[in-house]
Amino acid sequence: MSQLGKRYECKECGTIVLCTKASDCDPSCCDKGMEVQQPKKKPSSD
Amino acid sequence: MNTTDFLNIAVAICPDRELMVFEKNRWTYEQTNERVNRLAHALTEAGVGKGDRVGMLSVNCSQYIEAYFAVAKTGAIFVPLNFRAKADELAYMINTSEAKVLFIGERYLDMVRDMKPQLTGLENCISIDAPYEGMLNYEEQISSGSEEEFFSEIEDEDVTILMFTSGTTGRPKGVPLTHDSFSMYILDNVDPADPEIEEKNILTVPMYHVAGIQGVLAAVYGGRTLILMRQFEVKEWMETVQQEKANRVMLVPTMLKQVIDDDDFAGFDLSSLQIITYGAAAMPFEVIKKAIAAFPGVSFINAFGQTETGSTITTLGPEDHDISGTEEEKDKKLKRLSSSIGRPLPDVEIKIIDEQGNSVPSNVVGEIVAQGPRVMSGYWQDEEKTAKAFTPDGWLRTSDMGYMDEDGYIYLAGRADDLIIRGGENISPREVEDVIISHPKVEEAAVIGIPDEEWGQEPRAIVVLKGGETATADEIIEFSRSKLASFKRPRSVIFVDNLPRSALGKLSRKQLVEEYG
Repeated sequence: MSQLGKRYECKECGTIVLCTKASDCDPSCCDKGMEVQQPKKKPSSD
Repeated sequence: MNTTDFLNIAVAICPDRELMVFEKNRWTYEQTNERVNRLAHALTEAGVGKGDRVGMLSVNCSQYIEAYFAVAKTGAIFVPLNFRAKADELAYMINTSEAKVLFIGERYLDMVRDMKPQLTGLENCISIDAPYEGMLNYEEQISSGSEEEFFSEIEDEDVTILMFTSGTTGRPKGVPLTHDSFSMYILDNVDPADPEIEEKNILTVPMYHVAGIQGVLAAVYGGRTLILMRQFEVKEWMETVQQEKANRVMLVPTMLKQVIDDDDFAGFDLSSLQIITYGAAAMPFEVIKKAIAAFPGVSFINAFGQTETGSTITTLGPEDHDISGTEEEKDKKLKRLSSSIGRPLPDVEIKIIDEQGNSVPSNVVGEIVAQGPRVMSGYWQDEEKTAKAFTPDGWLRTSDMGYMDEDGYIYLAGRADDLIIRGGENISPREVEDVIISHPKVEEAAVIGIPDEEWGQEPRAIVVLKGGETATADEIIEFSRSKLASFKRPRSVIFVDNLPRSALGKLSRKQLVEEYG
């Protein structure tokens, strides 16, 4: 899965980062790997 | 987050995707960003800096989007102007905002040239189409600017747009909206650009409306392609959906009705559509019912908001448009579909209050008030109107009357201030009345909104002539046409001997509506 355009969440501190340039690294925060956020369930009105 | 980062992020994720499609021209995200950077540098050269105001007077076009991002990158404040406004209304908005630079579309060039002596603070006009004597030219500005990425210090709390809204009194009110006013909503509700997901929006809502600007910013953050139409024309719209295979559209009820009632509707392939958002005016029940049947599989969303609330604050979602379940559930959903604006978004608090400011129980009508980080902090340079717009404990008075049911759905019950909404455009009765009363034969006048299947509401004038005078309805309508934006003129006139008034002499609009509505 490409990292580009994916949002990663730190389950420890709640930080969310958005990947705008992909690489081989896995983003981490608070000494732990960050989890990929899933797309929103409801469509946006805009 | 500041809104210029929406463009930076999408450029990084999908540089080669088309951002704008406009009249057979197409620009990718990368191409658009380069033009935006050039324009931002050119504006800086022209003396535009942080906090300055830069106006835009045009129908929707690609330059509108470029100009917004360029102005935002400089840290200046973009002032989108209602292109339907008359010269004196425009002069008021331009002067009140103290705009330093004005972008002007072709059809408004002569008008601005003629009103220029009144526009005391305006330093530069930029013709966004063909060159025009005495004005800078848009493409020349872009060519002259550096293509280097433009960096400026922008805070999330900085004002990025000053948007004028029609209100209860005649003069438009300026609403300063910050980067956060838009980005909080978008980050909470829109998925960012994804290299694997391509979506196409058709934008028909004018960008001087908060819904138009919000639609643009959401689309850019989402890495979508924006297909721009100067103005809505039903056949052109259907052709565009078919040709571009558009997925998302936003329509005011009047537009949706025109689409589904068009004789050629069945002849177009509109199967690419996935989401239809509507709002800006009350949706007639028969129209939405017919639309749901006409677009099977499409998700409908009713979005409600105001300029003052930083656009959308409640939505009636796709699940509310699916009339299924038990008979009791179906009845509830049909009722909601006929008059509910849905439930508040998570970052907004809404309550219904009585005249004393106390919350009312479920299903009791009161004024809808809102609070949240996106709500404006006040009107532009107008302490008096700002004070009236908020309750003593800081809730924004929406001037919309309504009630909330036991499930948290909100229903509209008319305007607290009798504003007429025609095809999504606000008309202040007072403003129209002031014009009619200025007619030499008119003693007094009142204007009310009457239901109209096509436009939602139409303004009707109730007129008392001066003793011994005679006049025709056409005479009054023509007189109003010359002094007001065209959509504000009354469409019908009733002559009466006197207007109903309360014991204190206050005009009884309720009685007027009962007798002449």
